[in-house]
Amino acid sequence: MTFFAPFTIPFIVGGLFMFAVVALKWSLWIVRLPRVDRRLIRHNFFTRETLIAVWEVVRESLLHVRIFRVNPLLGFMHMSLAFGWFLLIVVGWIETTAYLGWQWVPLQGHVFFKYFMPINGIVGDIHLFEHLMDALLLMVLTGVALAWYKRVRSKAMGMRRTTKHVLFDRVALSALWFIFPARLVAESLTAAVHGGGGFLTGSIGHWLQTLLGADVLHSLYEPAWWFYSTALGVFFVAMPFSRYMHIFTEIPLIFLRRWKLHPTAERKSYDRFEVEACSRCGICIDPCQLQADLGMNDTQSVYFLRDRRYNMLSLKVANNCLMCGRCEQQCPVGINLATLRLNSRAKRRNIPHEGRFKYLRGVDHSSGSGRVGYFAGCMTSLTPAVQRSMQHIFSVAGEDVWYADRDGGVCCGRPLMLSGETDAARKMVAYNTDLFRRHEIDVLVTSCPICLKVFRESYRLDGIEVLHHSEYIDRLIASGRIKVQTETRTFAYHDPCELGRGCGIYDEPRRVIGAVGRLLEPRHTRRDALCCGASLANTVIDDGQQQRIAQRMTDELVATNCDTIVTACPLCNKAISRAAGQPTEDIAEIVAKNIIV
Amino acid sequence: MAKRVVIVGGGAAGMQTALELKSRGIEPVIVERDIELGGKARGWHKLFPSFTPAGDIMRPLADRIRAERIRCFYGQEVTAISSDGVMLRSGERMPADAVVIATGFTLFDAHRKQEYGYGLYDNVITSVDLERMMNSGKVLLADGSEPRRIAILHCVGSRDEKVCQKHCSKVCCITGVKQAIELKEMFPTADVFNFYMDIRMFGPGYEELYREAQQRYNVHFVRGRISEAAETINKRIQIKAEDTLTGRPLKMTVDMLVLLVGMSANYENEALASTAGLSLAPNGYFKANDSFLGVVRSEREGIFFAGAATAPKSLADTLAEAALTASMVDEYLKNRYNEK
Repeated sequence: MTFFAPFTIPFIVGGLFMFAVVALKWSLWIVRLPRVDRRLIRHNFFTRETLIAVWEVVRESLLHVRIFRVNPLLGFMHMSLAFGWFLLIVVGWIETTAYLGWQWVPLQGHVFFKYFMPINGIVGDIHLFEHLMDALLLMVLTGVALAWYKRVRSKAMGMRRTTKHVLFDRVALSALWFIFPARLVAESLTAAVHGGGGFLTGSIGHWLQTLLGADVLHSLYEPAWWFYSTALGVFFVAMPFSRYMHIFTEIPLIFLRRWKLHPTAERKSYDRFEVEACSRCGICIDPCQLQADLGMNDTQSVYFLRDRRYNMLSLKVANNCLMCGRCEQQCPVGINLATLRLNSRAKRRNIPHEGRFKYLRGVDHSSGSGRVGYFAGCMTSLTPAVQRSMQHIFSVAGEDVWYADRDGGVCCGRPLMLSGETDAARKMVAYNTDLFRRHEIDVLVTSCPICLKVFRESYRLDGIEVLHHSEYIDRLIASGRIKVQTETRTFAYHDPCELGRGCGIYDEPRRVIGAVGRLLEPRHTRRDALCCGASLANTVIDDGQQQRIAQRMTDELVATNCDTIVTACPLCNKAISRAAGQPTEDIAEIVAKNIIV
Repeated sequence: MAKRVVIVGGGAAGMQTALELKSRGIEPVIVERDIELGGKARGWHKLFPSFTPAGDIMRPLADRIRAERIRCFYGQEVTAISSDGVMLRSGERMPADAVVIATGFTLFDAHRKQEYGYGLYDNVITSVDLERMMNSGKVLLADGSEPRRIAILHCVGSRDEKVCQKHCSKVCCITGVKQAIELKEMFPTADVFNFYMDIRMFGPGYEELYREAQQRYNVHFVRGRISEAAETINKRIQIKAEDTLTGRPLKMTVDMLVLLVGMSANYENEALASTAGLSLAPNGYFKANDSFLGVVRSEREGIFFAGAATAPKSLADTLAEAALTASMVDEYLKNRYNEK
């Protein structure tokens, strides 16, 4: 048997085209990887990581475990489509093999097996394979039904908003929606004409038989298979250029990630894997406060990645992000959204004029001496109560402290990085690194989570432990070096983005507050905490818009009926104070007020 | 029978309105939140641009209120306003034929600009604190010594979006010039610096005073806002600013930093306006009916404004406006009751 019929041509052509394009894309991306990345692949290829990656591909690309965790119904939709389709292919292959034995069957022979062998799959008296294949088809159809339903009523699927798609997506999406209903119709008609079929196609076939005459059935038979094959073909052609490219991109991405590749401050070929692994599911839209509070609908990660992928990214979209990390935290593919956003901002030629940095030469405003260094940060200089409180805590604890910037210091560099001035930021990093090293400190305490994040991520401070002051104070209390009295006030704590999602520090501030008074939590807290809107990362929104974001999040803190709002970031402090119309205190302040001398 | 007008607020605007109404044969009643009359001008040392002691203006006003036997209720807060009376916090209703809102303004709380260290550093004071010091006869540092270097910072809580105060408070520029001259007279050898964004000398004699401050008193004017202040070990104040005329950052240590605090709208305006069916301007002040002929009229018949309830105003403007308010109220009452 040749397993050829004219109707299979769209499928064959589409399929070949898709595999050619995907193969081309993969090889180009791999070839263009920087040498460091290629070395990482070679180095990690024959390790346990590869096996772990295989298991992760099963979990994520087929079962979609992470989406299940965010939204079970959405997870089921993705799983029934992906895993269901996968099983259809696998079981279909077993069916063919079981029926024909070991022999080469062309691809279309497997896919359109029912057309070529209408009565098959009988094991003993039972139509085992037919029932099995029907069950799998039903599973996929359930997923398709849910997808339709999600388009009409996204709220019912737990999403307030879904993604607006580009043309290729719409073509691919429509084709995808038709593939399985078309298969159902084609197989049912086959059952109606030839008999056979499982519980689903068989029953529908039987019903069609009673409904339509034999000549009508025969005239519909071929067109139905043509339609099925065309839907597949159209989908395959559109696929590499649509969001469905994620199906094939996520697999290599999982491997590359396990081999320790990651995006950096500079754009590189690896980013392609991350960008095209986005399925545009739109889970990132709802957590975005620019959407929820300001009604902006074009800047969320899904649109950012879409624009970047199709080379239509505007600087405005790249810059219009608070980098609060709320979306990244929920992304089912685990894309490094913040880093990609950052390296999109990096200006290609941002090498600044050397004269700009003359002032750095030989400058050292630091004072005091000790193994512990304190870097207040620029923002803390604008909230001097925090700095004072820290000085008081240091003196009560009897700590010898070297003050890096009490009389003026050099910026940590993070604001420059956030605005894409990576080269200028490097100057700051080099200056401060040298300063810290020269004064031979073991511990560096900072009051600003923005500085903290950059010290931990972009500085090479081996041998110097970098702590946020909440961690430092927590240690002082735990070790008994300072004692605090408990007061009757209640405190609502706001998790700063850079401290919480940025550095994973959630418990230390809470323990410190708990030692001083009663801790209250707002509705969104810890990993879900809202951003104060004052983020340095966003250079697009104006002051009034920042204020609206601050107001919404502050309302949640006020709703706890706390006596005092406490936070651990000078920038959040300013934003909340303004929105609440009442002073907000820093963790250091409430400790300094209650420290027993 | 004389028509009765309730005036909410017994500051300069309220007192002047009351006196003008009385002279027109109308019975004014003042409801004052504080325990005495005078409002914000009470305790002020001298007034710009003539250095007239504030008491010379305010005391006669209060004396005349007493002499005219105008009824005043002290320690009473108005919680609701309508054209036919007001509601007090005590729950008592005070009927009236018309109501004048003369509730003035609230001083900007300098604590809100934490970067200037008010309340944290001993030698950071506000312009209001300085007037009180001058009233007491001595302007000294926390340790009792005389300041030799003083910085006066304009626009603290004015024209500052970061604290939601977008408006200009109007009187601070000239107050800064006046206080600088007073400080120079007190301490002729001291250096006095004014840090400003723009100098707005709109009133008669203001520009002349500004020139005099520079030429005769050698007061320094630096165009640039102070970005932050820090306390040194010997309790001096180190300030950082940018001289925007030369385009250079500057750092300076002074003995005393005076913050020229601006005028904010009263917090209560929103609640009061909603009970009266009035609207507020975006900066929180009451919205006048129009900018030309209806500056003291509200959007509701029978409710009027006097003074800084509608916008920051100088004392001179407030007193002039209060006379207009009385005249408008008189006209309103005449039209209304002759018709009947």
